Amino acid sequence: MAADTFATVAGAAAEAGATSSAAAGARPDWPALARRARVKRAAGQSALLAFLLIVSLPIILPYFWMVVISFTARSGGVSTEVLWTTCAVVVPAVMIYIVVHLMAPSPRVRMVAGVLLLMTVGALLASLVGGQLHLANYRFLWRTNIIEEIRSKATAGGQFPSVWIAFRNSLLLAFSQTAIILTVASLAGYYISRFAFRGREAFLQGMLVLHAFPAMTLIIPIFLILHWVGLLDTMAGVILVLATIELPFYVFILKGFFDAVPWDIEMSAMTDGATRRQAFRLVVLPQIKVGLIAVAVFAFIRAWEEYIFVRTLLIENKNWVMSLYLFWVSDDIMGVDYGIVAAVSVFYVVPSLLLYVFCQKYLTQMTIGGIRG
Amino acid sequence: MNWKLAIAATIAGTMIAAVAQPAFAEDVVIKVWSRADRSGPLRAGNLVAAGDTLNKMLASINSDKRVKIELNETNAKGYDEDALDLLKAFAVDKGPDIFVLAHEWTGAFAGAGYALNLEDHITKNPELYGDIITPLWQAVTYKGARYGVPQDSEVRMYFLNNDKLRKMGKTDKEIAALPGRVDSGDFTEYDLCDLAGQAVQKGVAKYGILHRPNAGPDFQMLTEAFGVDPYDKATATLQASKSGLRDFYTWIKYCVDKKALSANNTAMSWDAIEQAAFGGDEALVFFHGVWRVTDQMKAFNLKGKDDYFHKYTWINAPAGKKGGKPTNLSHPIAYAVSAKSKNKDLAAFIVALASQPIPNERHAVSTNHTPINYGEQAMPEVIDKGWALVAATPMLKYATFMPNHPKIGQYNSIVFKGIQGIETGRLTAQAATDFVIDEMQNELGKDVVIRN
Amino acid sequence: MTTSTDAAEVSGFARAQVRRQRANFALFLGPALVLLACFFIAPVIVDLVLAFTDMDRTLAVTRFTLENFERMITRDSRLVASLGVTAVFVLATLGIFNVTFALLLALTTTAVPRGLGAFFRAVWLLPRMSPSVVYALLWLWVIDPNERGLLNQVLIHLFGMAPIDLRNNHPLLIIIIANGFIGASLGMIIFTSAIRSIPEHLFHAARADGAGVLPIVRHIVFPAMRWPISYMTIHQTLSLLVSFEYILLITGGGPFYDTTVFSLYAYRRAFDNGQYAYGAALSLILIVVGVIAALVMWRLMDMRRLLQVPRIEVH
Repeated sequence: MAADTFATVAGAAAEAGATSSAAAGARPDWPALARRARVKRAAGQSALLAFLLIVSLPIILPYFWMVVISFTARSGGVSTEVLWTTCAVVVPAVMIYIVVHLMAPSPRVRMVAGVLLLMTVGALLASLVGGQLHLANYRFLWRTNIIEEIRSKATAGGQFPSVWIAFRNSLLLAFSQTAIILTVASLAGYYISRFAFRGREAFLQGMLVLHAFPAMTLIIPIFLILHWVGLLDTMAGVILVLATIELPFYVFILKGFFDAVPWDIEMSAMTDGATRRQAFRLVVLPQIKVGLIAVAVFAFIRAWEEYIFVRTLLIENKNWVMSLYLFWVSDDIMGVDYGIVAAVSVFYVVPSLLLYVFCQKYLTQMTIGGIRG
Repeated sequence: MNWKLAIAATIAGTMIAAVAQPAFAEDVVIKVWSRADRSGPLRAGNLVAAGDTLNKMLASINSDKRVKIELNETNAKGYDEDALDLLKAFAVDKGPDIFVLAHEWTGAFAGAGYALNLEDHITKNPELYGDIITPLWQAVTYKGARYGVPQDSEVRMYFLNNDKLRKMGKTDKEIAALPGRVDSGDFTEYDLCDLAGQAVQKGVAKYGILHRPNAGPDFQMLTEAFGVDPYDKATATLQASKSGLRDFYTWIKYCVDKKALSANNTAMSWDAIEQAAFGGDEALVFFHGVWRVTDQMKAFNLKGKDDYFHKYTWINAPAGKKGGKPTNLSHPIAYAVSAKSKNKDLAAFIVALASQPIPNERHAVSTNHTPINYGEQAMPEVIDKGWALVAATPMLKYATFMPNHPKIGQYNSIVFKGIQGIETGRLTAQAATDFVIDEMQNELGKDVVIRN
Repeated sequence: MTTSTDAAEVSGFARAQVRRQRANFALFLGPALVLLACFFIAPVIVDLVLAFTDMDRTLAVTRFTLENFERMITRDSRLVASLGVTAVFVLATLGIFNVTFALLLALTTTAVPRGLGAFFRAVWLLPRMSPSVVYALLWLWVIDPNERGLLNQVLIHLFGMAPIDLRNNHPLLIIIIANGFIGASLGMIIFTSAIRSIPEHLFHAARADGAGVLPIVRHIVFPAMRWPISYMTIHQTLSLLVSFEYILLITGGGPFYDTTVFSLYAYRRAFDNGQYAYGAALSLILIVVGVIAALVMWRLMDMRRLLQVPRIEVH
């Protein structure tokens, strides 16, 4: 509701301007005014959309290129012809759709237009570039050590573990980190939001300092500490370290969510005989489901993409995570086999993107230090 | 409280998932650390083969013990980076039993107490080590004792692309005369820059001289051509001569101005370098080691010696000034045994097995590295397929080694940053000299003596 | 708190209350405190100690010394240069992208139809959501100085220009844009919500008064954004000061030291040649800066008001 407010208001303001100037005339020509306002509004919207489209191209294009390369590159070279052909088909189609979207308010018209355009694009692409698409670059999914196959042998035992080992490690890292953060941060967030205790302000202040803390500068001491406690080069060590470093940020966010839960709910639960812990678990936690999901998604994605810490804290390649796998694949064959590097990248990006797409509505509910974000 | 349980379960779960793999009682595990390197997969491979040999012997006496070679083949971009990682691994008790290292790092590992003093082992087993080419031992000697076993040896040089030289109008006779002119001191480093610069300006080559993208041993022969001797043998300290460095960096700047060196060289990945030198055939001069013959043969589908030398000419690093002496570098790779290993003796014997003529010859011939045993030079396989090694042998009379000082890697990396600064247009020759002297004093402190 | 006649009962109740209080403290805050103490506070202390040692690449400490600080203050000429790079990098990224451009994105994406606005916001979140290694890799492919680089393709085919080499000629520009694309998305999200949380009736009132788009932005939107903007400014200044992941992956701090910001400088000193003690000493500066900035933020933001008084005293 609030989303379109600004848009409607902006449009309405334009209309209002038109009305007041027309009011000078004796008999306002209402249909003409309405038409003029609509055109004006459409022009303003088009300008905004054109601006957004242009500034977004530098982001869309590289990602799109990556996908195209992964499906078209053959060993040795990258043909950019496919990229530009596809762009030449897709970009006009998107433009047409936007125009339709702006001009036709009816959802049915929009949908029909969308389906028609999609089919046209599909048919055009199939005929123009369909022959050049192939899946060979994705063979790293079922063939291990494909890089040595392509480039010639560099090791006795195989330089690259199966991508599934890295994938499994990444999943393990991301899930465990998320679980730890969710549990620990919701407990702590609830406590500072709801309980009075000595040092409460100091604790919150400390959290803020740690949240802003240059954790990367602690790589060396963390490396040593993990060694002292025997967790170096183990997934457990990395998981604990990453969860801890991110913790203050999420404690903050969840505290914000707890702050927003009305006291009445908790009070009435306790009047009904619940203990404080039960009230927290059964009454308050469900209230901040959105916050928990948002935190989970962010924590998962952060762990999924982590590079510098895993690079420093994991030594043997059986402990590789996806970021290390991709880094070494691209480092080793950059410039020779774009196709496989792009395919690995796509494979690596897809999980976090899917998660993001499905949980997007929760993410915009994030609260940071009392600010809704 | 089931959520308390959840915390406990999560933490316990992650711990368990990360716990080490099961080991079998009858297996003696020997961990090997080796850098993944296309120019030498058999460095680790020969250790694995040695393990197999040993296991056959054990099986023959019905022993239920077996040796299991556990490989960790790292992806470091060079031996310097790899050595730093390995030092770190050792420091936290994650070190291997056997490791492969660039010989100049022997001192660093011996000094830190990680490399085993093999003097005793080597002298007590002349049957296993007696044939190793004597001067090579120097490369793994630190404070009078041997801490490693040489694994191979090589020669670094400039590879000149004859096709491009011909395109520039050089006759075959002129090309054939080049190595001689270099050795006599008639053709200098400056002449090489002029030649490479012309090739770029005429559009014959995209890169005049293409060198490695990161710090490494290669550049020592170039600084040496300008009179920088990195090591003072008498006091066993590193040294740098200001005037020598200035001359060297002046030459680098000259090459950059002539477009013989590219601003991008140090930003390229190894692979982009290989692509430019071999796949794309874009360089007039490629600067690296003799083992690159393997890549060149493959890239240009060359058949045998004559075909190869029709395409390439080898020259030493020419002298900096007319009439000076040419130079080159031999940079052996070595095996070392961990002083912290629980199975030091076994590890040492596995190294000994891997260093025997037959396995070593396989590495030498398949990757064009000069062999470590006198006997190998007479092997039919070497004579037949190792023509490149035979051809490189005369160049060894100009060869120098890197000093076996624990901080030579750091020294090289500083010199390299100076080169990078000039190539990318960030430093002048004088500024690079000042920068390098400054960095050396800061990073190496008492380990380096700065001379004028 | 209460004056009761039955003292024994009260003290019994109070004791139980105190016990529960302690148990709750341990249960709710305990896990966080343990983790933070082990993997956050302890490293800080270790770093503090390391800065006064001579730990090198073998990780061995042979003596305690002030040499690192002496070197930092008197001899390290690179340090000053890296501070300059940091200032340019932070100011430009923050000024151009993280605040200004983020605001622009928030304003425009809320002014177009909802679905399209969400689409463009999703596009801008793409860099943040995709793994850093992938993002950096794409940058390397875009700016590849060869003809095959995406940027050069556009320049050659669309504009008929000669290929350019951004990586060598304008490295700072690259890391500013690369970080800016990521920074802009966070600001965009926060500003978008701030715009959305403006009560609808304000817009209606403005409309009734005949206000145009710009006055609405100036008088209704901006006042509501003061807080988010100052928060973003401080938060992003700090995170730009200390993070170097993308720089490390895209330019490696080069060419030469051109894109080596201070935090990366500390990292490079520590890990290029294994001078861990010196790296730790350099990190100390960052730690001090971080703490000061956080405290300033506390002051400016009046964070104390975030601590509402608890209304339930039962544990």
